[in-house]
Amino acid sequence: MTISRKCVPFTPFEGSLAKSTVALVTAGGVHLRDQEGFNIADELGDLSFRVLPEDVDSQRLMVTHHHYDHTDADRDINVVFPIDVLRDLKAEGFIGGIAKKHIGYMGYTMQLKAMYEGTAREIANEIDKGSRADVVVLTGG
Amino acid sequence: MKGVSTVLVTVSPEVTAQMRPPRALYPKGFKVGNSLGKPHMRELQLSVLRDALGLLAENTRPGEIVTREYPDYGEYHEPPRTRKLV
Repeated sequence: MTISRKCVPFTPFEGSLAKSTVALVTAGGVHLRDQEGFNIADELGDLSFRVLPEDVDSQRLMVTHHHYDHTDADRDINVVFPIDVLRDLKAEGFIGGIAKKHIGYMGYTMQLKAMYEGTAREIANEIDKGSRADVVVLTGG
Repeated sequence: MKGVSTVLVTVSPEVTAQMRPPRALYPKGFKVGNSLGKPHMRELQLSVLRDALGLLAENTRPGEIVTREYPDYGEYHEPPRTRKLV
């Protein structure tokens, strides 16, 4: 499939939020402390991503990214990866559930084509198979 | 694959507009690194995330970036401008 620059890949939302399962995908360089960090030494960027589990402890998350000031995210990861906020929304019934998988990657790259045609599709596949997400919330830094 | 509905929270609306995301929320004046607001301001973070998810049920135009204001944030930061490479 060729992705047109003029075509917005819009997927309509049907159903209700209260019955929907939500996944988070962040370009903010978020990963678990015991996962490999992103490669900030390579000027071309890092095309890899990390899968973060449903029950992730937000205290065990960190940021490796050198193209934004993540001081605030270091204090509270929810400012870029709102997993605890999402849990609150589930508790109050605003959403139905939390997806099995969430994704962190480093949204800085000079390899735009590889990011768009490679990494983005791999992330979409990861979400599509096994995350059970109806909806994805995307965040940057 | 049926596709999954997405919504983006962006603090760089001009840069984001180039990529034409299906749905996006710009919390006005939030700085880069504060997509959901400031650390530990949970009520503010909840408001932003509720609004972002709420766009799914609204009749937004594909590619549109919706701007909302959150006075509780208490600051205004000029968003990054478009550069040649982003």
